[in-house]
Parts: sequence; C-alpha cells; structure tokens
Amino acid sequence: MNQLLVATILMPLIGAVLIACLAHFGRDAVRYIALAVTVLTLLLAGRLLLNFDPVDPNFAASSLDWGGTPATEATGSLGLDVRFSVGLDGLGVWMFGLSALLLVTSVLVSWEAIKDRPALFFGMLLLLEFGCLGVFAARDLILFYVFFEFTLIPLFFLIGIWGSEERRYAAIKFFLFTLAGSLLTFLGLLAIVLWDQQHSVSGTLRFGIAELTAGLRDHPLPLAWQITIFAALFCGFAIKVPLFPLHTWLPLAHVQAPTAGSVILAGVLLKIGVYGFLRFSIPMLPEAAVTAMPYLLWLSAAGIVYGALVALAQSDIKRLIAYSSVSHLGYCTLGLFALNPNGVQGSVLQMVNHGLSTGGLFAIVGMLYERYHTREISQYGGMARRLPILSFFFLVFTFSSIGLPGLNGFPGELLILAGMFQRAFANLSDPQFRLIALLALSGVVLGAWYMLFLVQRVFFGPLKEPHAHEHDLHHDIHDLSPREIAALVPLLVMSLWIGLRPNDFLKPSEPTLMALVSATHEPLEEWQQQWEKIADKSQLEEQAAPVASAIGVAAASENAVSSTRATIDSADLAATRN
Amino acid sequence: MFVETKTVAALVPELILILVASGLFVGSAFCRCRQAWLVVSLLGLAGAAGVLLVGAASVTETGPLVTGPLRIDELAQSFRFLALVTGAVTLLVLTKQATEGLAGEIFGLVLLVTAGIMVASMSNELVTLFLGLELISIPTYILLFLGRKGKSGSESTMKYFFLSILSSALMLYGFSFLYGIGGTTIIDGTSQFPGIRQAVEGMNSPAANTNLLGFVPFAVVLITAGFAFKLTAVPFHFYAPDVYQGTSNANAGLLAVAPKIAGVVGLVRILLIALPAAAPLTSETAPVASITLQTTWQLLLVLSIITMTIGNICALWQNNLRRMMAYSSIAHAGYLLIGLSAAAVGDSSYSGGVAAMVFYLIVYSLASLGTFAALAALGAPGKEVSTLDDVAGAAKTHPVLAGVIAIGMFSLAGLPPLAGFWGKLSLFLGAVSLAMKTDGTSAAVSYWFAVLAIAGVVNAAIAAAYYLRVIAAMYFQPAKVDLPASNGWGPKIAAVACGIAVLVTAYPRPLLQLGQRAEEQLPKVVRHDPAVKQPVAFHDVPRQ
Repeated sequence: MNQLLVATILMPLIGAVLIACLAHFGRDAVRYIALAVTVLTLLLAGRLLLNFDPVDPNFAASSLDWGGTPATEATGSLGLDVRFSVGLDGLGVWMFGLSALLLVTSVLVSWEAIKDRPALFFGMLLLLEFGCLGVFAARDLILFYVFFEFTLIPLFFLIGIWGSEERRYAAIKFFLFTLAGSLLTFLGLLAIVLWDQQHSVSGTLRFGIAELTAGLRDHPLPLAWQITIFAALFCGFAIKVPLFPLHTWLPLAHVQAPTAGSVILAGVLLKIGVYGFLRFSIPMLPEAAVTAMPYLLWLSAAGIVYGALVALAQSDIKRLIAYSSVSHLGYCTLGLFALNPNGVQGSVLQMVNHGLSTGGLFAIVGMLYERYHTREISQYGGMARRLPILSFFFLVFTFSSIGLPGLNGFPGELLILAGMFQRAFANLSDPQFRLIALLALSGVVLGAWYMLFLVQRVFFGPLKEPHAHEHDLHHDIHDLSPREIAALVPLLVMSLWIGLRPNDFLKPSEPTLMALVSATHEPLEEWQQQWEKIADKSQLEEQAAPVASAIGVAAASENAVSSTRATIDSADLAATRN
Repeated sequence: MFVETKTVAALVPELILILVASGLFVGSAFCRCRQAWLVVSLLGLAGAAGVLLVGAASVTETGPLVTGPLRIDELAQSFRFLALVTGAVTLLVLTKQATEGLAGEIFGLVLLVTAGIMVASMSNELVTLFLGLELISIPTYILLFLGRKGKSGSESTMKYFFLSILSSALMLYGFSFLYGIGGTTIIDGTSQFPGIRQAVEGMNSPAANTNLLGFVPFAVVLITAGFAFKLTAVPFHFYAPDVYQGTSNANAGLLAVAPKIAGVVGLVRILLIALPAAAPLTSETAPVASITLQTTWQLLLVLSIITMTIGNICALWQNNLRRMMAYSSIAHAGYLLIGLSAAAVGDSSYSGGVAAMVFYLIVYSLASLGTFAALAALGAPGKEVSTLDDVAGAAKTHPVLAGVIAIGMFSLAGLPPLAGFWGKLSLFLGAVSLAMKTDGTSAAVSYWFAVLAIAGVVNAAIAAAYYLRVIAAMYFQPAKVDLPASNGWGPKIAAVACGIAVLVTAYPRPLLQLGQRAEEQLPKVVRHDPAVKQPVAFHDVPRQ
C-alpha cells in the first residue's frame, strides 16, 4: 500500500514525460496515452480508497529523501531535511480520489476540443494531476507548498494557450494573484517551522506536518504571533478558496479557461485553500482561529450572498457557474469556521460535492459550447428538446448543486448549516452569529433561484438555437456522444452515492477531522465563558433576554446534540430521509 | 609562507587557463581558425576542470587548505567549478558569434575572466583578491569593446570601464583601512602569522586598544560599495541596464554571472571572515566596537531591501529582454544580500546564510546562463534577439529553446519545484529564523529581519510578473518576426545543458550539501556565552 501511493502520485508525471517523448506520433497517440494514464491513476487511487483505514495515522505513508541535508551537531548547522513524505488521512483522502476522477473527465471533455499542440495540452493536464494528487497527500510542509505552487504552472499554460479571447490577461492575473498570496503563506509556514525548531527539545528543523502540529500543541505560539501567522496563511488560502473580497480573479479565470481547466480549477484547486485552513491554520494556530472566527464567518456569509446575487445577474453560463462557486465555497469556509464537528464534517463533504456538481456543470457547459460556440444565456432556449441527454445531466448536477435531498449537495449543506446554527444558537453566543446563520440560510434559497432560473431559460421554453456562423451546420448538432456520457456518468454515480449513503464518506474521515479541530476546544471554551460573562452582565442590567421563542427552542434542541455524536446523528438523519 | 610549493600546486588550474589564453593570443596572430581555437580553449577548460576535480576530494575530506595568500575551502572550490561552467557556456555561445579574425583573442579573454573568478574565489589576501578582481574586469573591458556594435555598444563599454575603475578605487581605499587596522594584508592567518581577523579579534579584550576599530565602518562602507558594483547592488547598479542592452547576449550572460561570483566571495571573505561580527563585546568595555560590528548587517540589510525592490520594479517596464534581465540580475543581487546580512548578524556560528548564498548563486547562474544562451541561439551573427516581440511565438517554432527560457524564467521567479525555489527557501529560512528568535538577539535584529523577509516575498511576487511576460510572449502569442536561429550548435548545446541542470536541481540535495559544507568550513565565529549581555546599539528599542 505504501509504495502504491507513491506510484499513484508519480503515475501522471511519468505519463507527462511519456507524452513529451512520443509527441511526434500525433494527436491520437497523445490523447490515448493521457486517457490510459488517468484511468490507471484512477484505478490505483480507487484501490487505495477502498482499503483506506481511518484510524491508522500512517496509512499508505512513505517518506523518501529529497531536498534534505542532515543537521550536523558539530557546526550547529540545522540542515534542511525536506522529504518526499506522502500519506492519506481522513482529510485528504476524498479530495485525492476526486482529483483522480475529475482528471479522467477532463481528458474526455478535451478529446475533440483541443486541436492546437495537443501534446503540450495533455502533458500539462497530467502535470496538473500530479500536482493535485500530491497536494492532498503531502505529509511534509515544504512538499505541500511545492505541490501547492506547482499546480499554478500547468494551469497557467492551460488557460493562456487554449483559453478564450482574454486568455493572456486571465492567465497572468490568475497566476500573480495566487502567487502573491501564497508567498506570504510561505513565510507563515516557515515561521511555524522555525518556532518549532527554537522551542522543541531536539532543536532540529522539522517539516513533518503531524510532528509540527503536535509540537505546536506542546509549546503553542503566543497569541500575537499566532494572529500574525494566521494572517499570513490567510493571504494564500483565502485567495485560493476564494473568500469574498479576494475572489476577483476567479470568474475571469473560469470564463477564459478551456473546459478541462475550469473543471479542475473548480473541482480541485479551489479546495486546496479550504484544505489549507483545516490542515494548518486551525490545528496549528487554534487560538488565532477562534479569534478570527467571527471575521471569517462574516466573509463566508458575505461570499455566499454576494456570489449568489451576482450569479443571478449573469448573462454568460460559465460566469454564472463561476460565481456560484464563490457562493458554494463560502459554505465550505462557513462550516469550517463554525469550528464544531457538524460544520467541519459538512465542509469537508461539501468540498467533494462541489467538485462533483460544479465539475459536471462546467463539463456540460463546455460540451454545449463545442456545439454552438456561445455561452450567452439569451442565445439559448428549449435545449431540452434538442439535446435531451445533455439536459438530463445538466438538470441532475443542478439539483446536486442546490442541495436536493437524494443527491450529494444535501448532506453537505445540511451539516454545514447545522454546524452554523449550533454555533449561533447553542448556549449563549455573540448575537452576530445568528445574523450570519440566517444569511447563510438565505443563500440556499438564492442558490436554487439562480440555478433553476438558468435551467429554465436555457433548457425549457420555446426552442431557440444560437445563430452560429455556419447556419447549415445546425443539422450536424447531435446529443451527447458515448465519450461525453462516459465523462459524466462517474460524476453522477458518485453524486448519488454520496447523496444516498453519506456515512460511507463521513465515517472514514471523522477521526482525523475530530483530531484536527480538537485543538480549538480549549480556546473555544474560554471564548464561550467570556460570552457568558458578558451575557450575565447584560441580563443584570436589562433584566431581560429578548430572545425569540423560536430561537430559544432551536438553541435548546441544539444544546442536546452538541457532542461528536451529533454529526453522526444528523448524517444518519440525512441518510434515512432518503 | 608565501612561496610554497603547495600554493603553486593549488594554482595549477588557473595557470593552465592563463597559459592556454597566452597561447591563443600568440597563436591567433598566425592562424585565424575559429573552430580550432574553440577546441583548444575548451580543452584548456577541461584540463583545468580535471586538475580541480583531482584535488576536490581532499578539500571535502580534510578540510580547507590555507597557504597564506590562498584559502582553498568548499566555498572556493564550488565557485571555481562555477567559473569553469560559466567559461564553458560563454565559449559555446560564442561558437559562431566570435568574429572570425578575432576569435582567438575573444576565447583567450574568456579564459582569463574564468581564471580571474577562480583566483578571486580562493584568495585569502587583499592583494590576491584585488588581482583576481582585476583579472575579471580588464578582459571584460576588451570583450565588451570587441563585441561592440555602433554607438550604444561603445557607450556601454565606456560606461562599464569608468565605473569599474571607480569601484576598484573605492575598494582599494577600503582595503587600505583594513591594512591599517590589521597591519597585514592576509585575511585569515594563524597565531603564528596573524591576519586581519586575528588582529580584530585581539581588540576584543577590554585591555586592548580598540581605537583602531573605529575605522571598521569606513572600511566596511567603502569595500561594500566596491563589491556592490560587482554585484550590481543599488545604488551602484546604474551601468548594468545600459551595458547589457548595448552588448551581445553572450557578453550579457558573462556579465550577469562572473562579477557576481567575485562580488559574493569577496564580501564573504572581507565582511564575514576578516571582520568577525559576533565578538563577545559589551557596550561598557568597547563602546566603539559594539556600534561598528553592527554596521555590517545593517548596511547589508538596507542594501538588500533597496536593491531587490528597485531591481524588480524597474524590470516591470522593460521591453528589451537584456535590459529586463539586467534589472532581474540587480534584484537577484538583493536576494543574495539577504543571506549575507543574515550571516553577518553572526549570533550563532551557523546561520545558513552563506550556504543559502552559495546555493542561490549557483542556481541563479545556471538559469541566467541558460536564458542568455537560448536567446543567443535564437539569433544570428550580427543580429541579436533583443525585445519581447522578437521572442513572441518562439514556443511554436523553437520549442526546445523556448522551453529552456521558460524553465529559466520559472526558476528565477522561484517557483517550486525548480532550483530557484530551493534557493529562496534557504535564504528566507535564514531571515525568518532571525526574525523568530526571542532569545539572545536584540529586538532590532528580529524586527528588521521580519521586514526583510516580507520585503523578500513581496519582491518575489513582483518578479514573477515580468518573468511571466516573457513566457506569455513565447507561448501565448503568434510569431511577429522570423527568428533566424543560425548561431551554430554551440549556444543550443549550452542552453539545453543549462536547462537540464536547472531541472535536475529540482532534486537539490547535492547542491544544498555543498552549500552547507562551504559554510561549515568557514572560520568559526566565537560563540556567544548566553550569560554575557548583548551589545546594545544606540537605536535598539525594547521588545514589547
């Protein structure tokens, strides 16, 4: 199992080298190699996932020499023992699988679309897969950062060469925006490593993420440093997510990217930001995370509502889905920074859900674009009659995206909202959280509105086909080919699986997630006590606590299930309802 | 001590180069055969490399060999090899570009520059160091002059000539202060033959006369100014953009690397070895010294921030590739100074700063040389590739050369997993380490190194913008001009070799270890006794 993980991660890299060597055999050779490599990677990843052991912290772990120079005692040199250390745990495991799955879809949707320099395209796609797989499996801090940044290079080329009209601007903006943030993250990560080095017993430079988390628990950073480093990490992760005011690069990049680029960007790369928060910010800097909680919740809620409202106003299908990503990723960070088991589990599940549904939606929009060469909503109408299979898939992924019970979006959103309401109404807490929770709830309604409005305009009503430049070509427009169906069916199957049996996915990641957020228990309790003090004071002064009766009931019922078990209960609830 | 057989034996590689160069000067008067002279000079380089390799193992095993004027340690060895690589790449790039009638002279001059870098890298004596530096400068004047085309070429040659002489004068003036302080020109001696380092250390005891230490700031400022010219650090950078733009891609490649190696090694030898910073002084016993010994890192830190910021910001506006690369090389000088200032604080015997600099300089050199070689390969004799528009669409017509440039750009921008990233990682580790220190360091140190680290990453983000423009032009744009790409096989081989070297350094272990050994072999700084109170500079602020 241990070598298998390394083999899975390296497989796309080998495939990319192979494509570079065999480029002169033409497009067919290249795309068949790419398909074979991604399918093989998916099979290997599938084997890993089926054998996944949630309680083994060293599942599939292996650690190879890489950058390192060992420390030497005599001279006091610290060395730089960076290792190629990978492993899977409950946090990364589903994203790892999703990356492998979406790459097969990406290769299939690019099959006919890419005519210019196909070898470079599929080579870059495989390099991107290498980066995506690596980032979720890295157990070494520097290795994580290497993969984190490395994903920028292939996507830069994918957007810049094969994108739409404004591709150069979009590629450079995407690259610089993300790089600027992640360089500050880099400083923050170095600061964590060096703090650990200066305060650990051994005094050596350690880069292992697990060791660092344990080390920081033994000798936590002072609050001022925690907040500084949290802010540094925030720069990179929040831009990647992207959180509300930092999202401006995303719609541009999505609209300009080729279909495969959009699928991977939305499906995998955005999640690296959420993943980073959960992997580094929360367990390593728990006090800062609790301090920052209200601000991050506000930003998330603002992103949810703002993304949804802007999506409502879009006239371009791809741009609409891009803004819906801003809204959906807002849910992920909302659940994460509710800092309770429900929220965190929902957030991790929602990362996968959003990858499946939005990845599928982007793929279908790409297929539509291949047929009509426009993404203007007003150009379309009644497509359900013209392209029934395509419309079926679009509708299913729409339902998944708006959280229809029975599909994957539902358990994720339910858990996130349960977590948020628990944070807002359980015990006494800051009243602003109630407003945030209500805003987040309104996002669900808005989400259904803009997605169904889109579906109604494009797929229903009287038939209206875009006026292509070549009118006579319209009779050539066919419904989905078997290749395109093959690209979408796996996503559909996974959506149904998660929707019907969410526990299959929640249970395995539970131990890891609980361990990761356990560091925040103590600061959260302190925070809670502070609020109780404030609440006592205000009660004494005003002699009244005007809490609406409905809220009181909600608080009482949430109180009862505010333990770890609550997660499972609500997940089971989700499952039985279906 | 001066004339020893082992001194001469250590100089054999340099002697080979100088002899071959002399042979070329004489021979080319009789035979004007470019190919033959190229082979002869490459053989000369190979011979020097062979001799160097034979002696290299003993340095790693038994430690540095100090023979009075020379100090052969890992630092010297790694830069001597780097000099040979630089020489070989430059020769290959010049395969067809060297004017037929002057080929022998041009190749000979390149060999002399190489020998100069090698002498400077291992000098342990002020005069030897100066000789090495002049052995780089004087052939460079002629190389620039021989390769000149029209007015801009002449202007850049004259600019380089005058400013270089000025910088030599500044440096010599600084050296004279060091001589005055130490009473010797040897940098690091023994107890039997004390050098400047021993003299400065001797002034650390409360009983000693520390008045002479008051001259240290003069020496530090003047010498840093002189070397800053070699490094193209701001404000001594003004010549670089004009000179690079006015000369050929081959010469620009040499200029981007050769003086930098000499500058780095010179600064390490003088500022870190001759003037050990971490002497256990207290402000009561030696008030002058406590201030002077802080001068070095403060000076270098400020230079570093200004240099990288101005270099990167000015590079954003350039459309001429050589001019852009000139500003980029200025910015990289700033990054190198991060390591030097971290090492100059010297509050522990191993800061990682010098190791990071050695690593960074090597990967910077490979990426720069590769880029210039690829640019040269895209041109033709008498027609240089100069602007961004010239390389537009190069990825379609010349995928391999465009690939080399792209790899070079990504590495210079410091993107993982390429070599440049590991360089930035080790430099920033040094700076952040000082910023995070809460014990034994004054608050000012930790504050200013935090500023330095932040300035460093902000600059890395700015730098990515102009490197990406080059890649975007090559990959995302259609071709605007036909690239002749008829400079022969030499530049292509050189470019591809450098590109592969940069890619291979994505496995950085061997080079990182080299840097680590280089720093470990430097003379040890006297360790602080934690109990001894730290020197407090006049501007120190209490830590909140």
